[in-house]
Amino acid sequence: MTSSHTSTNGVPSSEGAAQAVPGQRFASPFAVQTPAGAEGWQSMYPYYALLSEERRELEDGKFWFFDGMHNPEPLYPFDTIMTENWWVAASQMSTRVWPVPPAGGIDHRIINGYLYISPNAVTDPAEVARRAEDFAVRAGHYYENWDEIYEQWVAKATDCIERLTAITFAPLPEMEPLDSVLEHRGVYSSYQLLTSYGALIENLFEMGSYHFEMLNLGYGAYLTFREFCQAAFPGISDQTIASMVSGIDILLFRPDDEVRSLAKLAVELELTDLVLGNEDPAAALKAIGAHPDGARWLAAFEEAKDPWFWFSTGAGYTHSDRAWIDDLRLPFTALRGYVQGLLDGEDIRRPLDEILAERVRVTAEYRTYLPTEADRESFDGLVELARQVFPFVENHNFYVEHWHHSLFWSKVRELGDVFVAHGFLDDREDMFYLHRNEIYSALYDLNIGWATGTEARGVTYWRPEVERRRRIRDVLKANPPVPALGAPPEFITEPLTVMLWGITQESVQEWLGVDGLDGNELRGVAASAGKATGRGRGIIDPEQLHEVEDGDILVCRITAPSWAPVFSRLSAAVSDVGGIMAHTAIVCREYGLPAVVGTGFATTSIRTGQLIEVDGNTGVVRVLEDVSA
Amino acid sequence: MTEPTTSPFVLWIDDPAAVGSRLLGGKFGSLAEMTAGGFAVPGGFGITTTAYRYFLEYAGLADRAREVRAQAVGADLAQVQAISAEFTAAIQAAPLPADLETAILTAYAELERRTGRSRLPVAVRSSGESEDLAGASFAGQYDTFLWVRGADEVLRYVRSCWAGMFGAAVLTYRPDSDLTAATADHGICVGIQQMVEARAAGVMFTLDPVTGDRSKVVIEGCWGLGEGVVSGGVTPSRYVVDKVTFEVLKRDVAHQEAMYSFDPAIAAVGLVPVATDRCDAPCLADDQIHALAELAKRIERHRGAPQDIEWAVSEAGDVHVLQVRPETVWSHRQAEQLVTERKSAVGHVLARFAGVGVASNGGRPS
Repeated sequence: MTSSHTSTNGVPSSEGAAQAVPGQRFASPFAVQTPAGAEGWQSMYPYYALLSEERRELEDGKFWFFDGMHNPEPLYPFDTIMTENWWVAASQMSTRVWPVPPAGGIDHRIINGYLYISPNAVTDPAEVARRAEDFAVRAGHYYENWDEIYEQWVAKATDCIERLTAITFAPLPEMEPLDSVLEHRGVYSSYQLLTSYGALIENLFEMGSYHFEMLNLGYGAYLTFREFCQAAFPGISDQTIASMVSGIDILLFRPDDEVRSLAKLAVELELTDLVLGNEDPAAALKAIGAHPDGARWLAAFEEAKDPWFWFSTGAGYTHSDRAWIDDLRLPFTALRGYVQGLLDGEDIRRPLDEILAERVRVTAEYRTYLPTEADRESFDGLVELARQVFPFVENHNFYVEHWHHSLFWSKVRELGDVFVAHGFLDDREDMFYLHRNEIYSALYDLNIGWATGTEARGVTYWRPEVERRRRIRDVLKANPPVPALGAPPEFITEPLTVMLWGITQESVQEWLGVDGLDGNELRGVAASAGKATGRGRGIIDPEQLHEVEDGDILVCRITAPSWAPVFSRLSAAVSDVGGIMAHTAIVCREYGLPAVVGTGFATTSIRTGQLIEVDGNTGVVRVLEDVSA
Repeated sequence: MTEPTTSPFVLWIDDPAAVGSRLLGGKFGSLAEMTAGGFAVPGGFGITTTAYRYFLEYAGLADRAREVRAQAVGADLAQVQAISAEFTAAIQAAPLPADLETAILTAYAELERRTGRSRLPVAVRSSGESEDLAGASFAGQYDTFLWVRGADEVLRYVRSCWAGMFGAAVLTYRPDSDLTAATADHGICVGIQQMVEARAAGVMFTLDPVTGDRSKVVIEGCWGLGEGVVSGGVTPSRYVVDKVTFEVLKRDVAHQEAMYSFDPAIAAVGLVPVATDRCDAPCLADDQIHALAELAKRIERHRGAPQDIEWAVSEAGDVHVLQVRPETVWSHRQAEQLVTERKSAVGHVLARFAGVGVASNGGRPS
């Protein structure tokens, strides 16, 4: 209840920090109180990610918003590798690689364990003009050679993933293998452990850099097309604009398509009873294995699994986002649904021809409503460019967040097993309580112990430290963050902020005015058309997905495309964060699920069991009836 | 029965010969075309411009009619009113030729037979030859009489429509100070059409009348008959619909306490209270909005240009077309270029990154 007002070493004081003024400003980041029991949380994170007395003036003058889209929960110390990656990798693109004339990098701070971010702007007109020249040369080169560069990008990404696959971790051997001696290696298992970890971290930063190589440019081309449409057809919905551009064969649909094929094969091989009769995936696989034709199905299953089941159940940014391959319940839920559909005589294929024909019709019809030939020419050029960049925009997500990052987290767990084997930790999951740089130290500590035969310091050092951090993090998790801090900006120009986080002038105003449900109504971005009424089902952890009942309305921080198997049971979806191009908006539309995203407060103001109405046409969510007693 | 060589007094709007016939005037001619196009137009017939001219000749008023128009041109308002009053009284008093009266009564009886309802309530409206001429829509200048029942009333209001041709407002209506439109010897058809007992009604445009955006259908409607929307006496609810996807992009539902409807107390159309549970409720359900927008789009395509359409939804939910007219404001305006500058798509995108919007209005949604 009470919180520390005293300034301890390196922790700035909250004395005198500005409080929130409705309609005018958000609370100063320095006014945020540490919840009781979470004192010392700063020690879990690197010094440069924390607020400080020395940078107070700068930090107090900026607008900070909570990045719940990528990091809904307090960061695990190890998981800051992802946020620290894009702090550099996304920012450097707009500042040093091709200076986006009016936009700078995106700054980060960790406050009470939650990630807040703040886009920098360039306002000096002379500097903007200078940057525009460099930008035109550099970005122009990418647009002019887009397809070729994208092809190279896929090759680089695939190669990076192959090298990640090859990295392995094993406990240090009792005795160095004889081969090391006979082959005169000169370096041994201790060195290999250390360098493998180095390779793992470098590999993440390599993919992290590829992530943003083309992304901002892709978004920029799309954003320009979107603005053209909004000017020509005032009020046109975002999903309609997206539908003119988005692809039908994007990789995010591939995992689900693979499950459809497996369902078809199960019907052909007459394995349907085994699939439908076993809710537990392991039991189903065992039963299929025992069937005379089972081997053929299992071979197809293994083929599909790698890489298509490297499909994260979250945004892929945190280690808790497990992939289908780690937990087969989601793909098996989908599999049972498709098998049942086939037995009932349904056509379970996605209507690709219809979707494509509709895209052609919609685009051609809007074109006819443009006023002049010059406008039709611009429209043609912009829609073509937007379609050209879109395969990267949509597919990078599978390569980076799903395939690479899911694999990365599984490699980190492999290393966790090494620490467990050497007595540093009780559980492989505990290693996420260490920052990546602390792991370097811990590995060296482990090598010392192995080399000298003295018990490593880590054996007695880390367990209590992990316990302390776990307690702190649990307290932080129980104290949800406010959506924004600091001085609201006059303008939001940074394209990523608008497109990815859905943060606009309007949403900032909304946050300024309210701190929860306004009456019984929440407003967000209309992300997928349609209207539905149902019981709210709050999902904070993907584990809760298995509680979903038919007709429920999903209420979450953000949805992940890999949740699709439960989508068929839902009647609508509502999220706290996300813009029109957020990873899942596209998939939500594809599944025809009414969706309102970027409401800010859905998970904190709607309770599971309340009867709610979601209007995906207008972006309004209403609570109709409280939880029945 | 039919008179193949002479021009008919009565022309049914579902008669193939009615399509494109000048005898029905603008309004009813369009409805004949809509009927032939398969649109849901309430049944009815027109008492043709031939009938009107025959009546004036028979009553010996034809020459005087031309004089009245010519005199009105130079006159001040008081003089116009005096001329108008005198001549409309003459029309009201003149005898109706027996063959014309028979034709009208036979047609009304046939409409009663077709609908299976005696003393069928009908709308009696003027449909001028001069309507829809460029720059001279005569919008709102001609008469409409609603809920007219029985043969006697029909005859009375037909005559009122003819007299209405010489109302002071019509005689002085010249939006382009073009005298030819005002003085020309335009005839008039009187349309007799089954009343739609509207649950809701109004008008719609196949473009956004405010921005000229052709990708929208804008619907205005209210509870009851649409007269309130047309006359401006009732503030309508407004729906902006995307013409391509049929999404309802904007809805402003108005509070409505009174509506135009048949009032048994006065045996005529008047303002009556709206049921309390409907005052703040939308007058159109989503599927009706969709049906109306789809209808508007089909009519525009059929007619080949943006349209202004009057519609009504019956208590059973059926959608009816009451009137179609070409949209006159944006259709005559020079199209304005949207993009600031002609340049390549990459050029547009690079400029956007540098803070220069692709469109001259900045690309901000209005």
